[in-house]
Amino acid sequence: MANTFHLKIVTVDGLAFEGDVQRLMFRSTHGDLAILARHINYCTAVGMGTAHVVLEDGSERTAACIGGMCSMMDNECHLLPTTWEWSEDIDVERAEAAKVRAEAKLREEKLSKETRLLTESKLNRALVRIGSARH
Amino acid sequence: MAAANMKAVKLRIKSVQNTMQITKAMQLVAASKLRKAKDKAMQSKPYLRTMKGTLAKIANENTDFQSPFTKPGTNPKRLFVVIAGDRGLAGGYNANLFKFMEKEVEGYEYAVLPIGKKAVEYFRHRNAEIFTDAYAEVAKVTISECFRIAKSVCEAYEAGQFGHVSMCYTNFVSMMSQVPKSSALLPLSDFENPELDDTPATKDLILYEPSGEEVFNTIVPEYLAGILYTSINVSVASELAARRTAMEAATDNAGEMIEKLSLYYNRARQASITQEITEIVAGAEGA
Repeated sequence: MANTFHLKIVTVDGLAFEGDVQRLMFRSTHGDLAILARHINYCTAVGMGTAHVVLEDGSERTAACIGGMCSMMDNECHLLPTTWEWSEDIDVERAEAAKVRAEAKLREEKLSKETRLLTESKLNRALVRIGSARH
Repeated sequence: MAAANMKAVKLRIKSVQNTMQITKAMQLVAASKLRKAKDKAMQSKPYLRTMKGTLAKIANENTDFQSPFTKPGTNPKRLFVVIAGDRGLAGGYNANLFKFMEKEVEGYEYAVLPIGKKAVEYFRHRNAEIFTDAYAEVAKVTISECFRIAKSVCEAYEAGQFGHVSMCYTNFVSMMSQVPKSSALLPLSDFENPELDDTPATKDLILYEPSGEEVFNTIVPEYLAGILYTSINVSVASELAARRTAMEAATDNAGEMIEKLSLYYNRARQASITQEITEIVAGAEGA
């Protein structure tokens, strides 16, 4: 079909997805975006957020997608996230626990700048996971 | 042949047996760990390939921006990330890697970032300049630590402390063969990319959002961390495979040694019996 493109999602834990899709939506470092077939050659850095993949048959899968890069070259899309978890695989309880832990830590005063940043990004990751699981 | 000799041989057999037990146990442990490590290493291979391919393509086709990561630095000094093991008794695993690395660095001014206890020890002993020795235990390096390493390497590179960054690790070819390998990390123009060599240099236009530089500055540390993590996985699998092979050989050797010693022991025993009989017979005749 002309209105699909080939998508490959690869993480350090292996190949998460490979196949033809109609649309890929995810959050980049500067906002949400969607990639459709025959997009111009494109490259961007991936932020933290919920990603949606619309498969060839129109069904949609969601996932928590954090960090990494995405490139679209000649109708071939490579998404290389740092972590990618399909929403059905997310351990919500663990994410909730991580959220509570991070929030408690952030309430403490006198955190060094580095631990504050680290904890904030932990909280962010937990929130993204929880948000993606609810879709 | 005296009884004292026999006793010594018996003790020797015992001690070889004990050693054999240990090498056998180490072999089994390495073999069972290896299975997991191999799966992990294999899983991360597609990531490495795709990431390298994509970045090389972008770096080669890029015409419109200058990122400090795409052009070689002016500093002649090189940084080598060396991934070795934590422990010995793995055949030539560590020695081969260091020998290979010595050949790689010949003629360059360099500093090292050792990962793994053996690497830290080796470079300390050689008085090489060490970038950081915080990652002494290769078995404990996690993905988040890879990110930390990558970040500090990128910062040092951007600050002009090094002109090139490379990495030496041991590639897992098969269960029987592990080969030391080096791979360029920074700048991206150091990539050897055989796939791209034949194609004519058509420059495609690529749209970068928000800007080429910004994209690269975010992606490069991620890419480095990914490469480090996968290389560490591959090296760990190689180490276990090397240890398994070495321990298998040691166990075989111990078995052979025991066989030889028991033959010798039995001969000595027979000889002493024969001697006793001769003595008795001689005594009876004399009476």
